[in-house]
Amino acid sequence: MENSQRHSQRQDTRLELVIVGNGMATGRLLDELLKRGCGQFRITVIGDEPEGSYNRIMLSPVLAGETERATIIHKSPAWFAAQGIRFIAGKRGTQIDKDKQIITLDDGQRLAFDQLVIATGSRPAAIPAKNQTLENIFSFRTLVDVDTITSAARNAANAVVIGGGLLGLEAAYGLALKGVAVTVVHRSGWPLNRQLDATAGAMLQSVMAAKGVAFALSAEVASFEGDHTGAVNKVVLNDGRELDCDLAIIATGITPNRELGQDSDIACGRGVQVDALMQTSAANISALGECCEFEGETFGLVEPIWHQCVTLADRLCGNRLTPFRNPQVATKLKVSGVQLYSAGEYITRPEHREIVLHDCRHQVYRKLLLHENTLVGVVLFGDTRDGNTYFEWLSAAQTLPVQVSTLTLGKSFLTESTPVQLPQAAAIP
Amino acid sequence: MTDDSLIAVQPAASQHKTTCCYCGVGCGVNAQVSHSTVIAVSGDRNHPANLGRLCVKGTALHQTSQSPDRLLHPMVNGVRSTWDAALEHTANGFRRIIDEHGPNAVAFYLSGQLLTEDYYVANKLMKGFIGTANVDTNSRLCMAAATVAHKKAFGYDTVPGCYEDLETTDLLVLVGSNTAYAHPVVFQRIVKAKAERPKMKVVVIDPRRTATCDIADLHLALRPGADAFLFNGLLSYLADHDGLDQDFINSSCEGLDAALATARAQVPSVAQAATICDVPAADLERFYQLFCATPKAVTVFSQGINQSSSGVDKGSSIINCHLASGKIGKPGATPFSITGQPNAMGGREVGGLANQLAAHMGFDNPAHIDKVARFWHAPNMAQHEGLKAVDMFEAIHRGEIKAVWIMATNPVVSMPDANFVREALERCELVVVNECIANTDTAKLANVLLPATTWSEKHGTVTNSERCISLQKGLVPAPGEALNDWDILCRFARKLGFEQGFDYQHPVDIFREHSALSAFENNGERDFDISAFATISKADYNQLAPVQWPVNAAAPNGTKRMFSDGRFFTPSKRARLISVTARFPKKPPNNGQMIMNTGRIRDQWHTMSRTGNAPHLMSHMDEPGVDIHPADAKQLGLSEGELAVLENLGARYLGRIKLNDGQRRGEVFVPIHWNDRFASSSRADALVNAITDPICGQPEFKHSPVKVSAYKPVWQGYLHTTQDLAPASDYWCKILLATGFKYRLAHNAECDWAKWLRSAYPQVNDWVEIRDSARAFYTGAGFVNGALVVALHVSRDGKDVAEHRWLDDQLGQPCDLNQRFAVLAGHGGSDVEDEGRIVCSCYQVGEKAIVKAIAEGAHSSAALGEKLRCGTNCGSCLPELNQLVNIHYLAKLATAVE
Repeated sequence: MENSQRHSQRQDTRLELVIVGNGMATGRLLDELLKRGCGQFRITVIGDEPEGSYNRIMLSPVLAGETERATIIHKSPAWFAAQGIRFIAGKRGTQIDKDKQIITLDDGQRLAFDQLVIATGSRPAAIPAKNQTLENIFSFRTLVDVDTITSAARNAANAVVIGGGLLGLEAAYGLALKGVAVTVVHRSGWPLNRQLDATAGAMLQSVMAAKGVAFALSAEVASFEGDHTGAVNKVVLNDGRELDCDLAIIATGITPNRELGQDSDIACGRGVQVDALMQTSAANISALGECCEFEGETFGLVEPIWHQCVTLADRLCGNRLTPFRNPQVATKLKVSGVQLYSAGEYITRPEHREIVLHDCRHQVYRKLLLHENTLVGVVLFGDTRDGNTYFEWLSAAQTLPVQVSTLTLGKSFLTESTPVQLPQAAAIP
Repeated sequence: MTDDSLIAVQPAASQHKTTCCYCGVGCGVNAQVSHSTVIAVSGDRNHPANLGRLCVKGTALHQTSQSPDRLLHPMVNGVRSTWDAALEHTANGFRRIIDEHGPNAVAFYLSGQLLTEDYYVANKLMKGFIGTANVDTNSRLCMAAATVAHKKAFGYDTVPGCYEDLETTDLLVLVGSNTAYAHPVVFQRIVKAKAERPKMKVVVIDPRRTATCDIADLHLALRPGADAFLFNGLLSYLADHDGLDQDFINSSCEGLDAALATARAQVPSVAQAATICDVPAADLERFYQLFCATPKAVTVFSQGINQSSSGVDKGSSIINCHLASGKIGKPGATPFSITGQPNAMGGREVGGLANQLAAHMGFDNPAHIDKVARFWHAPNMAQHEGLKAVDMFEAIHRGEIKAVWIMATNPVVSMPDANFVREALERCELVVVNECIANTDTAKLANVLLPATTWSEKHGTVTNSERCISLQKGLVPAPGEALNDWDILCRFARKLGFEQGFDYQHPVDIFREHSALSAFENNGERDFDISAFATISKADYNQLAPVQWPVNAAAPNGTKRMFSDGRFFTPSKRARLISVTARFPKKPPNNGQMIMNTGRIRDQWHTMSRTGNAPHLMSHMDEPGVDIHPADAKQLGLSEGELAVLENLGARYLGRIKLNDGQRRGEVFVPIHWNDRFASSSRADALVNAITDPICGQPEFKHSPVKVSAYKPVWQGYLHTTQDLAPASDYWCKILLATGFKYRLAHNAECDWAKWLRSAYPQVNDWVEIRDSARAFYTGAGFVNGALVVALHVSRDGKDVAEHRWLDDQLGQPCDLNQRFAVLAGHGGSDVEDEGRIVCSCYQVGEKAIVKAIAEGAHSSAALGEKLRCGTNCGSCLPELNQLVNIHYLAKLATAVE
C-alpha cells in the first residue's frame, strides 16, 4: 500500500516531507521552509489537536482574558490549504518504519516519506499524587485546556495550582483575575526557583500575593479529595495541610513526547536525541522542539526552538548547514504588573562576583553575576528595563565594557570603563 | 544696652553703609536690610578702600550669618544658662583664681575680628583694673613683626602710606603677599592701575608662583625665609649704585652706617645675594636696578615676611631700603605693611597686644604706664608686659594661667602646635569663649560659652591697613540672646566690682574715651591721635565717614600719608635704620622632610566659622589641599587627586594632592582654614612648630619641616547627607551644599558601610543600595517620605565612584525609581530617552520608542520589528503593535483623507 501510494504519486516528482505534530515548532518550521521556497517538497502535517497552529505562549493571556482566543491562531486549516500543505488533523503518528521510510498513524493510515520531522512536543509532567482522575483537575497545555478551565472557573470559588513555575504562575494569575481564590502549591521554597534566587522569589511571592495569589511553599500534593459528584473539592499536602478547591491545575513542568521515536528504535534520552543539525539517529528523520534532546538538554522555551527551525530548514532545503548552538535564553513572566527577567546563572556560587541592587520600597531587585569580569547571570525583578543590554553582554561573554559600580543601574546610568590612566606625575619627563 | 536707635524692625528695605568684616583691606559695603535681615550687599563706591568693589567673600557677607551652628544662648559646662548666671560663674572663677594666684593667673585672648570698642574695654579691664597685661590677640599671629619693625624705625607703629600709593607708584614690590587671594580688592585696584599705566612695574617676591604673579613683570621665587638677605643685598646695591638719598638720610635718618655695614658684610654682591636667595642673578639684579632707578616705589609686605622667626628683622630690612633711598612719605613711595584682619590695626591702636598699652603707648616707657593709669583712674595698673600668644598658651599648659577668656577667635585651629593648644585648654580650669558659632574647635572646649553678635549685628569701628577708621554697623537685631562683646565685658567688669569705668551705654561712649586717650598728654609726641572724635555726638558717630588717622585739630579731615615732612616719632624725630643680620628659618628640614608653607585660599576666611556657612564659597576649593611640585610628587609616589599625609609634632594633615609647578622643589603649600568642624585631620597649624621671633613673638607659620607621604586608604568615596555628622572614616572633609552637606571620605580599614549607614541614620527605613560581593564598592541611599536624605558612594580604588555635581542638588528632593537609580549612579543619566511602558518584553521596547518609530515611517508591525526588533521573538506583543500602528498611523491617515 505504501508502495502504491508512492507509485500513485509518480507523476509528482516532489519529495515527501512529513511533519508529525502541529505545535509552534512546526508552525515556525513551515514559515522557514516557505521562506526558502521549498518547492522540492510536498508537505504533510499531522496534528493531534483539532485546530491549526497556534501560539501556545499566549494561552496564559487567553486564560486571563487579556487576549482574544482567535488572535493566537496563526495557521488555520484554510491557511494550510492555501499553501498547498496537506493537514491531517486529530491524528497521531504511532510507528515509523525507518528502513522503508513509512509512518503509521493511530488510525492505521500509512504515509511514505522522504524526510520525516518529529515535532511531537511535550505533555504536562505527572505528579505522584493520589486521585488525579477526579473531575476539575486540569493540565494547562492546550487551547482545549484553556476552554475547559475557563468554563470550570465560572462556578469556582477556590482553586489550587500545582507548580510555581512560569506556567503555574500564569495559570494562577489567570484564575485570580476571574475572581477565584488561588493557592499555588510549590515544591521549592520560592516560586520560579529555576529562574530566580530566593530574594527575587520572595519579592515575586509578595507581588503575586497582592494580586490574590497565595502560596503553599516547600509543599507537595499528597492527594486530591472529591465530593459525591466525583469533582475535586480538596487538596491534601504532604505536610498535612488541606486546601479547599473547586478546581486544580497541574503545571509542574513538561515531559517530552519521545514515544514515537522510542517505539521506532530511534535513540532517545529524555527526548528524541538529535545532533547539531537536528538529525536523529535514523537517516532522513529529524526532530525539533520540545520533544527533542540536544546535548542532554530539552527545550521548553521558544527561542532555542526558533534557532532549531532555522537549522533544520537550512538543511532540508539544501541551502546550507547551520549547526544549532543552544543559545542563552532569558525568562520573563507574562503576568501584568510583574516584571521579572532572568538569564544565565541565577544562584550565586562561590566563584561568582555578585552585584545586587535592592530597592525594597519599589520592590526592585537586580542581581548580576560576574565571573572573571564577564557577565554570567542576570536576575531582574520589578524593573526589567535593560534586560536586553545585559543579555547581549551575557551572550557575548566578553569583558564588561562598563564600570561595575554602575552596572546594575542600566544603560541610562552606565559609566564606560576607562582605561587605567597614568598618574599625571608619570607623564612629566 | 543695645543700640536701639539704629536696630529696629524695619519691614521696608533700607540701605545702610557699613564695613566688611574680613581682611585688612576694610571695604565699604552697602547693605540692604529688609525684615531685620541683610538681604543683599554691594560695594560702597564712596569708600576709599574699595571704591565700589567687593571680593567673593564680601559679596557673600549676607549669606554667612545664618548657620544652623549659630550660638544663641549662654552655656555653662554644656548646659544652657542665663546671662546673669553665666557671668556670675565666670566672675566667681576669675575672682577666686586672682585671689589665690594673683592677676597673672588669668588671661584674655582676643582677635582682630573684634571692634575697636570691644578691644578697648577688654584691654582696659585687664591692664587697668584686673592688673595684668596677659591680654594678647590673634593679631600676634598676623602682624606683630610689622608692628615692632614700625616702632623701631618710626618710633611708633605707623603705617606711612595708603592704598592710593599702590596705584600711583612706578614700581610695586609685593613681598610674601599673595595679594590676589588675601586682599582681592587691593589687588583689583593694582590690576586696574597697571592696565591704565603699563609702565608701572610689578615685582613679586615669593617662594611660590601664586595668582598674584599673573600681573608680575618679574617673579623672584626665592628660597623660603631668605627675604632679609635679599633686602640687605638691595641696601648694599643702593649704596654701590648711587641709589641712596643722601639729603633725606642727612635730614631725616639715623643708623645707616651700621645697617649698611651689616648688610654689606653679609651680602656683599648681587651674585652672593642670588646664591643665598636661590634666584637667577640676572633677575635679582634687574629688581635691584629697578628699585634703585625708580623714585616712586612701594614695597607691600605681609604674612610671608611677618610669620617668621626673624620677622621683625625682615620688616626692618625692607624699611631700611625705603629710608635709605628716600622712598617714604611721598605719593607712590612707601613701605606698606598690609594686615590680615579687619581690625588688626584697631587692636594695635587700643593696645590689644600683651606688649602694648593703649593708644600706641608701651610698657617700655614708664611715663606711658603712668599716663594710661591716670587717664583710666586704674586701681590695678599692670606694670609689665604680659605673655604673648605662644607663651600664654604654654603658661596655660603649665597651669600658671588658670583662667582664659577667648573672644572671636579659634586658637585650637590657628595657633602653632595647635594640638598642644587644645591640650592646654583641656587642662585649663576655666575657659570662657565668646563666639557666634557654637561648635568651633575652641568653643567645644569652653566651660562658659557666651553668644556674641557678629557682622551686621554689632556696632563699632574698625581700622584697616591704611589707618582708615570705618564704622561696622549694627543693622539687624542680635539673634537669640547674643550680646555685643563690649557689653558682655562691661557686665562682667561690674560683677567684679568695677562699677565705674564700665558703665558705657553705647559704643560711642567707648569711642569718645578711646579718642580722648589718644590725645591725653600727647603734645604731638605720639602718632596715634584722633582727638577730633573726643566729643563726637552719637548721631555723628552713627554716620561716621571713613577717615584716616591722625584726625586732630591739625588734620580735621584725617591724614592720607604720614612722614611727608620727614619728621618721625622718635625722640630725635629721625627715622632709624636698623642693623639687620639676616637669618634663615630656625628649623631646617631633616633628610626626607619637606618644608610646609601655609596660607589663605581665595574664598575662605581664617577658620571658616563664617565663610564655611556659604556653600558657594566652597566651590573654588572645597577640600583641604597639598600643593606640590610634580617632580617631588613623582619622587614620593604621589598622584594628582589622591590624598597625601603630612606629619609633624605627632599631628597629621591630610589633603588632596594638587600638582603645581609653581611650587619650589622641596616645599608644599597647605591652606590654613580647615578645622575639625570641616575636616577630620586637616588643621595645618597643628604641624607648625611653636618657634617665634624673639622680639615680637610671632610664630614661624611659613616654614615647618614635615614628613610627606601618600595616604593609602582602603576605602574612598563621598557622602551626601542632610544631616551634619562625623562620618566613620579616618579622613573626611565637609562641603556645604545649598541643601545639606557633601563629605569626601577615605578610610584606612575595612568597614561595613551598609551597617554604618543604618546606625548613623536610625530614622531612615527606606534604603536602596548596590552591594558587591567582592566588596570593591558600595553604594547606598536613604529616603524619608520619598525624599533623599543620604547617599553614600565608596569604592576601594576611588575610581569606581566618580563625583558629579548633579548629585549635589538632589538632597531633600523627592525621588521616583528612575531618580533613585540616578542617585545611585551619582549622576543624572546619559539622557537616554525614557522609553515609556514596555510593550515588547522580549526586546524591552517601550511604547514611546514604538510611537516614535511609527511617526518615522514604520507603518506595520513587521516594519516595527525590522526597526526595533519588537514582536520578532515570541510575538506576544504583535496585537498591541498593530493596535499602536492603528492609533498612531492608520487612524490619523483616515482622518487626513476625510
